Amino acid sequence: MQRGKRDCATPKIFASAPKREPNSKTLSSTPSTAMAHVTKLSIVPPPLKSDWSPPAPSGKAISPLVERKLLPAGPAYLAHVKRAVHKLTFEEHDKHAEEESKRLAELNGTGSNGDDDLGVGEEEEPEDLLALDPKEWKKQDHYAVLGLSHLRFRATDEQIKIAHRKKVLKHHPDKKAGVAGDSNDDAFFKCIQKAMEVLTNPERRRQFDSVDPYYEELEADVPTASQVKNAKDPQAFFFKKFAPVFEREARFSRKQPVPMLGDYNASKEEVEGFYDFWYNFDSWRSFEYLDKEVNEGSDSRDDKRYTEKKNKSERARRKKEDTARLRTFVDLALSVDPRIKRIKQEEKEAREAKKKGKTGAANGVSNKQKEEEEKKKAEEEAKKKEEEEKIARAEAKKAKAAAANAAKKARRAARTGEEGA
Amino acid sequence: MAPKTQPNGSAEAPIEVSSTPTVVGINFGNSYASIAVLTKEGSADCIANEDGERQIACAVSFHGEETYIGNQAKHQLVKNSHNTITGFRNLLGKKWVPLVEYLLSFAGRVFSGRGKFSEVPQNEISVSAPVIQHPEIADEPAYKVQVLQAAPSPLPTTATNTPAASHAATPRSEPISVTRYLTPLEVTTIFLRSLIQSAEDFLGKKVTGAVISVPNWFSDAQKAALEKAANDAGVIVLQLLEEAGAVAVTTTTDVWQAQGVAQDRTQLIVDLGSSGLELALLSIRHGLAYTIDTLSDHTVGGDYIDNKLIKFFAKEFTKKTKTPLTVAPATETQDKRAEAKLRLAVEHTKRTLSASPGAATCSVESLKEGLDYTGTINRLRFDMEVRTIYDHVFTKVQELVARAGLDLFDVDEIVYVGGSASLPGLDETLAGGFSETVVTPFTAGTVVGGGVGDPTTILARGCALQASLLANLPETTEEEREVKSAFASGSNWTKASATGKTIGMLFPEDGAEGALGGQWVPALWKETALPARRTLRFDVDLGDGEGEKKVGFEVWEAKEGIKVETVKAGPPPLENADGEVDEDEEEEEEEEEVKERTVEKESFLAALSLVAKEGRKEKGRWKTTVEVQFLLGEDKSLSVTAWEIGKSGKGETVTLTVSA
Repeated sequence: MQRGKRDCATPKIFASAPKREPNSKTLSSTPSTAMAHVTKLSIVPPPLKSDWSPPAPSGKAISPLVERKLLPAGPAYLAHVKRAVHKLTFEEHDKHAEEESKRLAELNGTGSNGDDDLGVGEEEEPEDLLALDPKEWKKQDHYAVLGLSHLRFRATDEQIKIAHRKKVLKHHPDKKAGVAGDSNDDAFFKCIQKAMEVLTNPERRRQFDSVDPYYEELEADVPTASQVKNAKDPQAFFFKKFAPVFEREARFSRKQPVPMLGDYNASKEEVEGFYDFWYNFDSWRSFEYLDKEVNEGSDSRDDKRYTEKKNKSERARRKKEDTARLRTFVDLALSVDPRIKRIKQEEKEAREAKKKGKTGAANGVSNKQKEEEEKKKAEEEAKKKEEEEKIARAEAKKAKAAAANAAKKARRAARTGEEGA
Repeated sequence: MAPKTQPNGSAEAPIEVSSTPTVVGINFGNSYASIAVLTKEGSADCIANEDGERQIACAVSFHGEETYIGNQAKHQLVKNSHNTITGFRNLLGKKWVPLVEYLLSFAGRVFSGRGKFSEVPQNEISVSAPVIQHPEIADEPAYKVQVLQAAPSPLPTTATNTPAASHAATPRSEPISVTRYLTPLEVTTIFLRSLIQSAEDFLGKKVTGAVISVPNWFSDAQKAALEKAANDAGVIVLQLLEEAGAVAVTTTTDVWQAQGVAQDRTQLIVDLGSSGLELALLSIRHGLAYTIDTLSDHTVGGDYIDNKLIKFFAKEFTKKTKTPLTVAPATETQDKRAEAKLRLAVEHTKRTLSASPGAATCSVESLKEGLDYTGTINRLRFDMEVRTIYDHVFTKVQELVARAGLDLFDVDEIVYVGGSASLPGLDETLAGGFSETVVTPFTAGTVVGGGVGDPTTILARGCALQASLLANLPETTEEEREVKSAFASGSNWTKASATGKTIGMLFPEDGAEGALGGQWVPALWKETALPARRTLRFDVDLGDGEGEKKVGFEVWEAKEGIKVETVKAGPPPLENADGEVDEDEEEEEEEEEVKERTVEKESFLAALSLVAKEGRKEKGRWKTTVEVQFLLGEDKSLSVTAWEIGKSGKGETVTLTVSA
């Protein structure tokens, strides 16, 4: 269209009346291109005067300039200032502008790791993930389905929402309408919805987090005492292998923040605080997620009650197992912790130093220390005794119960015998 | 499970994440404001607020516990005028004492004694909350409004000393009526916060920055006050942009240039808002703009058009119903209320008149004494009614152009800004004095239907574009920070030297007409800021002869002028069918001025010649394409480089320099 306009303007008019005719004079390309400054004119100057030869320059300079105040607005002003500040020539500025436009294009681009998706990002979707059966939703890894396997229990509600939206946009059955093949296949979409359902409900999410298959796998892989012993550098091995386990377990704690393993140079208080916390670990982990479903078909109340009862006991058993598991692990950590040795050594050295330094005056103190130690020992012994007693009591109880049982059995047998007779 | 023929997902995720900051442009006028946001395509768009208004009235009204902002607040002017605040922008950053004088001159109000003021009836513009001296802060103006404040919640009961204490909380008492003193700054904060809220609701994102327009006569104190108000409202002000600057941004975009305006042009901005007229003459040279001269006049504006219009309708009303109604100025309470109602109603009438050539209605229920009124007015009648205002604007335009030492014919483009400038009658009146090639949004047909030339949205869109420009500036190095600071008000970087004369090429020609002796091609127009570069590409006619061909031209400075000729005007008088010559037309045959732009060679600088090797034959004549680059350095030195563009690309370059 613009070209046509240019062509119809006659050069003669321009020669006689050099108006600034906007329609015929300028037509610019877009300023983002490098050749932005080139103005195409529709004027066709006539052939040169036959006797013309370039006259010598007059040597005059251009007329005096006028001082003006620019409006600080628009890209042209920006370019003007940039040239002045960076001391660029026009050509250099052209290059600069091109780079700048590239940078802006990147900023504006469809970057998947932009700030707005809160770090949800894109995850690969392996074949077997896409082939999940929505009927088996209890077995699926909801985080993997939503593409959040790098965040897991750390994913915020907002991130879950974003991830869900991303997945839905990709896998909604409407997207596949008209695509060759089984267009009614919305299995994975159902999986996504199920995952969303579980993860947006805080209670159900906790239940799932408790038995997150990803961590279940890791749980099996904890370091053992013999591994520590056989390691080349037991100290480094301890911190390298035990720290991640504690970090993993910390997510179950009702009390946050959880003290972490720390390093070799941790103070006595820190180490004591750490073991104190982990021996009194208060876990929210629960195992409802693994409950057996009540048989849908049956109306039998007894059936239901039976399943419920079984589930309950199963949960309790699992919980107990879990507590025991954590406790044995902490025991193991305590037994192989190189810092305990170090602290003991340090205390010993301190005692000796004191002894040596103040033989006379420090007697009272050392006595005190001794007393304290004795006290401690006594306490420990008392504790031990108590525990033993406890065990003994428990055993006695058991024996009693067994005896009672036996008596019962005997009575019953006698009764049946009587009845039979 | 059946084996899968294809995996579940293949479509690309369509979520687009942009990490560019969210910015808006705000045109903050004295009577109306508008907001613009950036579209995905990179252009700006004016958005509507929750009430669907693109032009949001700058009004804040308090009614009981409610606060109304925008056009809703304007309606409160009818019954609740003493609690409604309008026109607060112009009071921003003003001290009380000079303000009294200002208001005297501006709105025609008389203040008597200790800041109490009475209104001069004949020039009364709007009735709103009274401006008084702030009771606590010295020398600070304030609006006095009555509001209902929620009663303070009762203290929690300790319930220890009373044996039968109730657990139920003591109910709050009724809200109490209090008098609040609001400074213009506080009112502006309330208003801007609502604008930003509207923008955030529209975008669904937090607004991180804004560019706000200010009139060119705003003092530093006023700018500081506005910036403070914006900061209080939670907006980071990227720049307070002069209105002329905002117009320059909008009018140098590609979309605007596609209307057929030149890259180098002189632009006249006619900003006819509701409270005043602002004129500015800009020189735009390849997007780089500066103001040649400005003029502001507060004795004309949309409110005066309203006055004329409501007087007209009031007269009609009296004629129809025999009920006397005196408005603008109204003296009786009933008349005052009727006037306020009419004022609201004519707003719609004016918009209809701007949008369509047909008759526009004005209807008010229960205008006076329970009588409804519906009247119509067409464009012709309307233009007649407001002719004096149009003429006043035209004289002001002439005054400005004359003051700038230019002629109306030097203006290449007129841009209209402000609601009242949308009236086609104004353009018709103005266009009469300009050259036929002048481009206005009306000739380009971009006013109606949300076109790019819509006078009500130009400023906001310019601000939004400027905001995106500023928000994307990098700030890592010292130099880059310096670049950013160049946009602050009063920056030294705005100082520039501009050429005083047009520099161009003269192609000598055999047997050329006129004194020029050839074809004149201007390259660097006068008033072009230094440094400047212009590259021109054009075809050159090489004649029909064979042999070596040359392209040559002389570089001249030229003087431009306007030749005014008086000729017998008008076509020959039309004869009626019966051969009788119309007497009136014969009398009208007067002398008329015909203006024409002229160019005179003034100072010869140098000459350049180039051998054409890539000529091509078109219709028996040889032609070639040549590019000529004019480079005018900061030091006044001019270098002209010419080269041929052929099939093989850029040819040999020939350069001449004119030293400073």
